[in-house]
Amino acid sequence: MERQLFKPRSRVFIAYLSLPVLWYLFVVVVPLVLAIRYSLYEWSGGPKMRFVGLSNYVQLIHDYDFWFSFKNNLIITLLCIIGQIGIAFILAAMMTTRVLKFKEFHRTVIFLPVVLSPVVIGFIWMLMYNQQIGILNWILRAIGLGSLVRPWLDDPKLVIYSVSVPLIWQYIGFYLVILMASLQSIPKEIFEAAEIDGADGFKRTIYVILPLLSDTLKVSIMLCIAGNMKVFDHIYVMTGGGPGKSSMVMAQYAYNNSFIMFKLGYGATISVGILVLSLAIILLSRKLMGGSEK
Amino acid sequence: MKKVILIKRVLAILVVFGLVFSLAACKRKTAQQPQQSSQNKNIEEKITLTFTHMFTNDGSAISTGFYNALNEYKKTHPNVTIKQEALSHDTYETKIKTLAAGGELPDVFVIKGSMVDPFYNNGQIAPLNDALDKDMMWKNSFVSGAFDDFKRGDKILGIPIQVQPTSLIFYNKQIFKEAGINEFPKNWNEFKDAVKKLRAKGYIPITAGNKGKWLVESCILSTLGDRFTGTDWFVSIRDRKGAKFTDPEFVNALRAIDELVKMKAFNSDINSLDNNQQRTLYYNKKAAMFFEGGWAISLVTNEAPKDVLEATELAIIPPVPGGKGKPNTVSGGAGWAFQINANLEGSKKTAALELLKALSSDAYSRPMLEKGGFPATKVTNYDESKLSTLAKKYQQLAKNIKYVPVYDVQLSPGVIEVMNSGLQDMIIGTLTPEKLAQKIQQEYEREGK
Repeated sequence: MERQLFKPRSRVFIAYLSLPVLWYLFVVVVPLVLAIRYSLYEWSGGPKMRFVGLSNYVQLIHDYDFWFSFKNNLIITLLCIIGQIGIAFILAAMMTTRVLKFKEFHRTVIFLPVVLSPVVIGFIWMLMYNQQIGILNWILRAIGLGSLVRPWLDDPKLVIYSVSVPLIWQYIGFYLVILMASLQSIPKEIFEAAEIDGADGFKRTIYVILPLLSDTLKVSIMLCIAGNMKVFDHIYVMTGGGPGKSSMVMAQYAYNNSFIMFKLGYGATISVGILVLSLAIILLSRKLMGGSEK
Repeated sequence: MKKVILIKRVLAILVVFGLVFSLAACKRKTAQQPQQSSQNKNIEEKITLTFTHMFTNDGSAISTGFYNALNEYKKTHPNVTIKQEALSHDTYETKIKTLAAGGELPDVFVIKGSMVDPFYNNGQIAPLNDALDKDMMWKNSFVSGAFDDFKRGDKILGIPIQVQPTSLIFYNKQIFKEAGINEFPKNWNEFKDAVKKLRAKGYIPITAGNKGKWLVESCILSTLGDRFTGTDWFVSIRDRKGAKFTDPEFVNALRAIDELVKMKAFNSDINSLDNNQQRTLYYNKKAAMFFEGGWAISLVTNEAPKDVLEATELAIIPPVPGGKGKPNTVSGGAGWAFQINANLEGSKKTAALELLKALSSDAYSRPMLEKGGFPATKVTNYDESKLSTLAKKYQQLAKNIKYVPVYDVQLSPGVIEVMNSGLQDMIIGTLTPEKLAQKIQQEYEREGK
């Protein structure tokens, strides 16, 4: 009786699994195949489609704006790896010390933004950045740094960094949770031994925590790359890729082509481009980090 | 233990049942439409119309007329339930294009002139000629040229919601006086001088909000461009008869805007404010003028502080040196129109057409006009005393105005997107006017292939 409970017959097993697998096929694989099909057409969304072969891809390769937005994606990804995982790592290391009080409280507060909708975050930060009424410029004025006051989302040189900040801020908690979980699986004795050996604070972080977390960090970096290659909602709300094209990312570019310019075929081509580039970068980063097959 | 297994089985069955049921529900929803439309004749039957539009109840002239007409329609059509979705202008434009791309347009909606071609080519909207010809009173009630933005050959593909200018200059004459300018500049050079004087006095000469990307193009460039190029150039562009965006006249128009930017004529956060936020600077007397369409007349009347409202005057972009255009033209026209889904049939279609009729009736137009709006139909018996001071000032100005096409209403969405984001690029200095002209031309040629 007991055994039957925990080991269902394979028929039951397949029956239970088939639904999620079907669901996955339906929402992930089928759209992907459709996107590849659409990318071969000139199509404006209705029943009229014209087969154009690979010419959309030829256009994509020569599309300066696409590569420019790819560059922006790379900048955001790099900033997010440093910002999100870096800050999360420091916070996680602090959580293991005895100095920090109210750990539960800190963890909750840091995790809170993760569950908020990106659209809401975008709107909040848009208000914070506002030149006239924004809190950021207000603080700058209040502490006598009035010369730094500027429209943060209008300056083409700054805007890509301005839009990265909310992104970083939102997902620190996500990586903190991952890193904390992995830290908690490390036996307490190791930390105690380190403490006895005189490794505290900075030394402990570098020589004890960092090596022990390296696998988790690799996974986090991979997640971070995958997430930021398809970043869209924050930027859509805050700048829409503007001013001009200065904060354009690939997903926003695909959106603009599909729904503003009515070129759904080309939009699908861009999406396939995003997929290929993301895969390439993830593979590259795995190579660089020594892979996970050991 | 048996009990546990039993519970598990029941649960599993419930889950499967639920999934199947929800799938079936999805299916039924799609199957419903043709079924419903095939029943007809009985007018008393219950009809539900979905209606997505951009008239939030904000007290503006157009929304006053709109809701008045809608309530009237509801009274005379108790069997029709209207499911409304009201969005703001920029959001609406995005949403309707997305719905169209997915083939899920609502029963009744609003379209822009530039959406007509893609929607019509995909069979999502149909000509309204038959319906209009059946009721000549209705057809003749529109002002001349009202259908221009929605005509393709003889086919009429929309019922205009209004006919109005998209480019007026609202200026504060008190501030102008303070800067030593006693009357509105008579030509472009004087205008630039005025900008300099206002700047010297510490005012923002022109407040603008171009986050939605259309403002600079629709409210400034469309008219300024016409001053430089003349209307024939635009017609030649639209009909692909040889004119180019790289023609020196058009490039000069871009340069003129670039020059204004370099003179710091605009507020520095021009690309992160929208057109509603741009007026705030004007209301606070930090800015001397702003460019916006006729719709802003009723908004300024409602929103502006009393002293600002009293000081507000209207003008149009002055003539430019060597320009080919006439000095009294303003970009304008219908721009947007009501349309119904081409898939509607039977009594549902009748009800939808009657709704369109209601939305160009007197109940729609009169309150709109009296609030300072611009109905597309001729309104005869309205109360002139109800007009606001600003609306009266406009009526004066309008006597000499002739409308010329608005770029984003008549050009294709692709060209417009390149032009609009390119203008943002030019404003922030990452694109020169010459490069921008080339980029627009490139897109224009690619589409013409």
